Amino acid sequence: MAAEPTVRKSDCKDLHSYLKTLPVSLLDRLYNHPATCLAVFRELPELARHFVMRLLFVEQSVSQAVVSLWVANKHQAEFKDAVKALSELRVWQEKAITGGIMGWNLNHTFRQNMKIALLGGGNPWTGGGPLAPDKYAKDENFLDKYAMDRWECVLHFMVGSSEGTEGVSSDIVQVLLNSGMMKEGDSSDSMPSIAPAGFQFLLMDTPSQVWHFMLNYLETVENHGMDLVECLSFLFQLSFSTPSKDYSTEGMSESQLKFLQHLREFGLVYQRKRKSQRYYPTSLAINLASGLSTLTADTRRAGYIVVETNYRVYAYTDSPLQVALIALFCQMLYRFPNMSVGNLSRDSVRDALIRGITAEQIVNFLRVHSHPEMLKKEPVLPPTVTDQIRLWELERDRFKFTDGVLYNQFISQTDFELLRDYAKDMAVLVWENPVKRMMVVTRGGHDDVKRFRKRQRNS
Amino acid sequence: MSGIENSLLVVVVDTNPIWWGQSRDEEQIKLTLTRCLDSVMVFANSHLMMNHSNKLAVIASHTNKSYFLYPQKEHSKAVSTAEDDSQIRQVDGKYELFAQVDEEIKSEVKNLILGGLEGELHADSLLAGSLAMSLCYIHRIEKEHRSIGSSLSSRIMVIKGSEDNPAQYMNFMNTVFTAQKQNVVIDACILDNDSGLLQQACDITGGVYLKIPQLHALLLYLIWVFLPEPSMRHKLTLPPKAQVDYRAACFCHRNLIDIGYVCSVCLSIFCSFSPICSTCQTTFRFLGPPKGSKKKSKKSSN
Repeated sequence: MAAEPTVRKSDCKDLHSYLKTLPVSLLDRLYNHPATCLAVFRELPELARHFVMRLLFVEQSVSQAVVSLWVANKHQAEFKDAVKALSELRVWQEKAITGGIMGWNLNHTFRQNMKIALLGGGNPWTGGGPLAPDKYAKDENFLDKYAMDRWECVLHFMVGSSEGTEGVSSDIVQVLLNSGMMKEGDSSDSMPSIAPAGFQFLLMDTPSQVWHFMLNYLETVENHGMDLVECLSFLFQLSFSTPSKDYSTEGMSESQLKFLQHLREFGLVYQRKRKSQRYYPTSLAINLASGLSTLTADTRRAGYIVVETNYRVYAYTDSPLQVALIALFCQMLYRFPNMSVGNLSRDSVRDALIRGITAEQIVNFLRVHSHPEMLKKEPVLPPTVTDQIRLWELERDRFKFTDGVLYNQFISQTDFELLRDYAKDMAVLVWENPVKRMMVVTRGGHDDVKRFRKRQRNS
Repeated sequence: MSGIENSLLVVVVDTNPIWWGQSRDEEQIKLTLTRCLDSVMVFANSHLMMNHSNKLAVIASHTNKSYFLYPQKEHSKAVSTAEDDSQIRQVDGKYELFAQVDEEIKSEVKNLILGGLEGELHADSLLAGSLAMSLCYIHRIEKEHRSIGSSLSSRIMVIKGSEDNPAQYMNFMNTVFTAQKQNVVIDACILDNDSGLLQQACDITGGVYLKIPQLHALLLYLIWVFLPEPSMRHKLTLPPKAQVDYRAACFCHRNLIDIGYVCSVCLSIFCSFSPICSTCQTTFRFLGPPKGSKKKSKKSSN
């Protein structure tokens, strides 16, 4: 059985669940920046967003009864979700209003900064006056390419290919080790090797990867002596910036500057020189706060995979990374300069499954990276192949383990049947064999059944 | 796509100079165009704020033309960014995109007002034209979205003060039915005179029609009633549907009529009888009652 990954902060799918894990005092400080307020706002359920909009200009508490009337009766469940989300993130708080009625009151700092984001006022997000035009101005294509190159460096490093890994700093390695995506090599001087969580990571689409990586990175932030709140605000600020526009580093705090250098390593920002006074956010950073939306770098790059009904996988690529990714779950057969051929076999897929990759991830990966010719077909992937991959996964679930206690050596058949029926009524019977007078009871039911048997014997 | 719905909102603002001029003369408390536009800009930005992938367009419905306030045309944009790059720099804590939207709308309104003084002024706005323009824009954006494989739901929001012009009835209804066919919802926010045409448009496309009772609270009405997406609306308690004035305008004099004559071929409506349909040129020949029955009635009378 594959080991269930332990639940940790980095497993959180989206911003909302991440923020929920943060302590209350930190949340209140986070709302001091309009960018974080905007990001949090967009992560709320739709109903909750409308509540915030409605309350934004109401400068007093609104009674809970009134708020609940805003939603039609049929949708009270969604209403409760919205209320829960808003309370959890401390966007609003309960407050008694006149007559002992409880009311909702929007968090003051949150309200203030939402208004600033929407209506203006307050201080600019980035310090410093207008920048002089950049001699080395970069356009969007350059930045996209730069970002993807940097990011692929990290991925290359993970799959252990030798190409272009020299740019990976010890900080990145630390994050990867910390997140459990890679584990230390056996001897002290050997390179870290990839762990099961890392394989799952590799098969995600780029924005999810970046998001996942950043969450893990943020956990290590405080070890580096940086302030988590400042880093988060800066990250959100980046995600709301305009593509291919330069921003000034003036007025940034020491820890933000350090953070900027790290982001530069990951490819989230472009800075020509370390000392340069300006930086460009890249598409990786800008896509970050949009969560897991699919409209990103991946869709812009053409797919390269063709899957045939005979389980052959053709990858039209010269990138060793992409071939390495396919080799995670394929048996590679041939390799040509611009194309590689692999075979989806039971063994290769099972190997992948044992490493903790799910069938859904494999299918999804194949679909997302399908060749344009494949996309013309409906469905994109041959159903025989997708079904078979899922069946191979199901195959591994043939055994179900249940803890239990065996009862045997019954003296008479009636004795056995009495106890068996009792266990059956209690719904704790796992297995029985009347001929051999044996039965298995779940561990939880064991005490009850034992007591019952004693009583029967005594009477 | 799981739950993430991209949404395009086209706001059509009535900028009729006669109506806005009138309303300022009468009472000071009444809404001015500036304040109305402020509310519209906040509303538009709120829409953009709701979701990362939401899109926006703003069209001014003027007395003699319809005019895109946002987004600007590509070429004029290129010129402006080259000239004053520093201008879009953040001056305060407002989100850059919002600041840019506001800036564009303001400058385009200025252009519109300053440039639109020549020529004849009418008391009504070219609403049908603006709606048609929005539909074309929606069509284009939806096509772009489809090519990259994502879905988009669109709606039009009309903010109108001036009176209806029955002369636009035909064009107007045509755009409304097109909107219905394209699954575009039309919402109407009425500042002054009830509009029978827009009532019908909202009813047909399933949008919200609301005459604002208190003009100075325009923004709150916009946020409360018009911000929720159509897919969201059944979950919220919103004002009940208004009584719809379903009168049609006749094709001959453009009057709104309750009872009229309808051409049996092309379904054109007329307020008075004419022997030839002016739309499809059908001549109406009037035959007396069938002969057999005539005879019978004669016999019986004899």
